[in-house]
Amino acid sequence: MSFLVKVSAWFLDPVHWQGSAGVPNRLLEHVLMAGAATLVAALIALPIGIALGHFGRGGNAAINISNVGRAIPSFAVLVLAFEVVGIGAPPAFIALTLLAIPPIVTNSYVGVKEVDPDVKDAARGMGMRERKILFAVELPLAVPLIMAGIRTSAVQVVATATLAALVAWGGLGRYIIDGFAQQDYVQMFAGAVLVAALAVATELALGAVEFMLVPRGLRESGAAPAGPPQAKAA
Amino acid sequence: MNLFLDATDPWIRVSYLQNHAADFEADLAEHVELTLIAVLVGLLIALPLGVLIYRRRGLRNPVLGVTGVLYSIPSLALFAFLIPYTGLTYVTAEIGLVGYTILILVRNTVVGLEAVPADVRDAARGMGYRPLKQLLWVELPLALPSIFAGVRIATVTTIGLVTVTALIGEGGLGRLILEGLIRDFKTPLVVGTVLSILLAAVADLGLAGIQRLVMPWSR
Amino acid sequence: MTLKNLRPLVVALGTLAIVAACGGGGGGGTTAKETLTIGGFNFSESSILADMYGQALKAKGYTIAYKLNLGSREVVAPALKTGQVDLYPGYAATELEFFNNKKGEAGGDPQANVTKLNTYLSAFGAEALTPSPASDENAFAVTKALATKDNLVKISDLKPVASQLVLGGPPECPTRPYCELGLKSVYGLTFKDFKSLDAGGSLTKGALEKGDIDVGLVFSSDGAVAAKNFVVLQDDKQLEAADNIVPLIRTNKANSEVTSLLNSIDAKLTLVDLTAMNKSADIDKEDPATLATNWLKQHGFSATT
Repeated sequence: MSFLVKVSAWFLDPVHWQGSAGVPNRLLEHVLMAGAATLVAALIALPIGIALGHFGRGGNAAINISNVGRAIPSFAVLVLAFEVVGIGAPPAFIALTLLAIPPIVTNSYVGVKEVDPDVKDAARGMGMRERKILFAVELPLAVPLIMAGIRTSAVQVVATATLAALVAWGGLGRYIIDGFAQQDYVQMFAGAVLVAALAVATELALGAVEFMLVPRGLRESGAAPAGPPQAKAA
Repeated sequence: MNLFLDATDPWIRVSYLQNHAADFEADLAEHVELTLIAVLVGLLIALPLGVLIYRRRGLRNPVLGVTGVLYSIPSLALFAFLIPYTGLTYVTAEIGLVGYTILILVRNTVVGLEAVPADVRDAARGMGYRPLKQLLWVELPLALPSIFAGVRIATVTTIGLVTVTALIGEGGLGRLILEGLIRDFKTPLVVGTVLSILLAAVADLGLAGIQRLVMPWSR
Repeated sequence: MTLKNLRPLVVALGTLAIVAACGGGGGGGTTAKETLTIGGFNFSESSILADMYGQALKAKGYTIAYKLNLGSREVVAPALKTGQVDLYPGYAATELEFFNNKKGEAGGDPQANVTKLNTYLSAFGAEALTPSPASDENAFAVTKALATKDNLVKISDLKPVASQLVLGGPPECPTRPYCELGLKSVYGLTFKDFKSLDAGGSLTKGALEKGDIDVGLVFSSDGAVAAKNFVVLQDDKQLEAADNIVPLIRTNKANSEVTSLLNSIDAKLTLVDLTAMNKSADIDKEDPATLATNWLKQHGFSATT
C-alpha cells in the first residue's frame, strides 16, 4: 500500500503541476496532438469512405484496410516515421494520423453502404437528387458508425501518442518512459494513471457524442447498427 | 537528406540479414510463443466468464461496459501498472496481453451466445436437455462463429501488442524494432515490421482456413 | 476484478510456459564450467564490451547468456545485485557514485575509485576487477555554429548563456552527478529546459544536429562526434571523474580463469580502439558482436560467438 501512497503524494506535489514538465502542459500536448491527428485523419478518411460507400465501389479495399491496419504494429509505424523525418512532434503526428485513417475509412464506408436500400429508394421516389440523398438521408443514418470509427481512431491515437515519448516527443507518455529509465516507479505509475484516465475519458466522451448524434428515430427504435470490431494497436 | 538511397544506412542491408538470420528465427519464435499463450489463456478464462455473464442477465451490460472501457487503456500504461508488482518479466508481459485478449473474447462469447435463436433453445429444452448439456451441445457450438471471430481479432491484435513488450525487456519481433530506434538503424526495423505483418497475415488466414474446415456452415 | 482473479492462474500457466520453453534450450551441456549472464547498457559501446567478454569466455568453455540493451544503470545495477546478471562492463567513477548514493567520493585515480567501489559491492556479493587504461566519460557537445557564436571552448563558457539553452541527455540525466546535477553543482549552470533523449545515442546527436537541443550529452569515446562537426567542451572544473572501464562481476562467478581473462582483455583496451569501434557501430551500423570478434582476434584472444 505504501507504494500507492507515494503515487498519491506525487499527484499532490505542486512541483509536478508546473512548467513544461508539469501535468497540465503534458496533458495539453497530448490532447492537442491526438486531436490534430484524428482531425486530419478524418479529413482524409471521411471523403474516401463516404464516397466509396455511396457509390458502392471498392468495398473490399475499404474493409480490408482496417484488417491490414490492425496487422501493422503502431510501434513500428512510429519508428518508421522517426527514420524518415527525425525526432519530436513531426514523426509522432505523421504516425498517429496514418494509424487513425483505417478505422474511419472502414466505418464510414460500411455506415453509408449499409443504409437500407429501401430508404434510398423512397428518397429517390420522392424526387431527391443524388447529392441530397447523400447529405439528407445517408449521412445522418451513417453517423453512428462514422462516430464509432472516429472514436476507435481517437482512442488508438491517444494510446500510440503515449509511445511517441520514445522519439523525444512530450505528452503524458513522457512520465512512463522517463520513470522507467530512471527506475522511478512512482513517476511511471503516475504517468500510467494519467494516460489511462485520458484514454478512458476519450472513449466515454466520444461514446456520449456518438449516442447523441444518432438520429432520434433510430435511437428510439433501437435499430442503430453495431460496427466492425474495435481495433487496438498500442 | 536522401531518404531512400542513404548509403550508410540503406533500408535493407543484406549483410545484416545474413548475419542475423538466427536472431530473426529466435525473435519470431518468441513472438509466436507470447501470442499463443496470451490467446489460449485468454480463451480459457473468457469462455467460462462469457457463459457466466450470459446466464446472469444482470451482469451483462455492466460487465461489457467495463470491458469496453478497460480495452481503451493503452498497453504501455497497463504494463506500467504491473511492473512495480510483477517486475520486468515474461509474466508481466503475459498478464497485460492476456488482459486484452480476455476483453475481446468475453464480448464475442456473450454476443455469440446471445445470437442463438430462442426457438433452438426452446427445442433443446423440449427435448429434455439439461442446462449443461444444452450449453455444451447446442449453445456453444452455435456461438462458435462469433467466438472464432474473436479469436482471430485477439490473435492479430496480440501480435501487434507483443511488439510493445520489447520496451519491458521481452518483445519477440519488437526487439528488432527497438534496435532500429536505439541505433537509428533501418534494417532491423524493416525486418521486424515486415515479419510482424506477415505473421499477422498468416495467423489470420490460417485461422480463417481452420474456421472454414471446422464450421463449414459459417462464412 | 477480473484481472485479480486471473493473476495466480496466469502466473502458474506463465511459469509452466517459461519452464517448458527453457527446458529445451538452457539446460546446458555436460561441461563443468559455469554459466554467466552478461548484461549491457543501452548504448553500443556497452554491447561491444559485453560481447568481447562473452565471446572470450565462451571460447574457454563457459556458457554465456546475454542481456544486452537492458537499460540504464538504474536497471542494470539492481540486476547485478539480485543475480539476474552476473557480469557487466562498468565505468569506475560512475559506478562508485551510483553505489555510494552520490557521496562524491570518485576522483581522478581509477584504481582508487575501484578500491572504494569494492567496499560497496562486497556488501551484496559482487566485485570490480582491474580497471582498464581506456576510459569513457560523459562529455558535453555543442554544434560548431553555436561554439563559434557564443565563444564556447570549455564548459564554464556556458555560464552566461545557459539559461537560454536547452540541454539534452538520457532520462536519468537530471538526477546524475555526472550529468545535469553536476553541471549545476560544479559549474552553476541552470538550463532553460531539459529534453529527455538517450545516452549519447542517435536521438541526442540527431537532436543536436537539428537544433532541438543546444547542448547534448555525448561520450568521450564517441566516434560520431568528429564526423558530425560537434565541438566537445573541455571539462575545465574536472566534473567528470575517471570513468575507466572495469568489469563488475558476482563473486561466486569470479574464479581465477575468468578474472584473469577479463583483466587481460581490459589491459589491452585503448581509447583509440573504443572510439574506432564506436564509430563503426554507430555510423557504419556494424554489428557490435562482429566488432568484438575482430578486436579479440586482433589482440590474440580466441572468440566464440
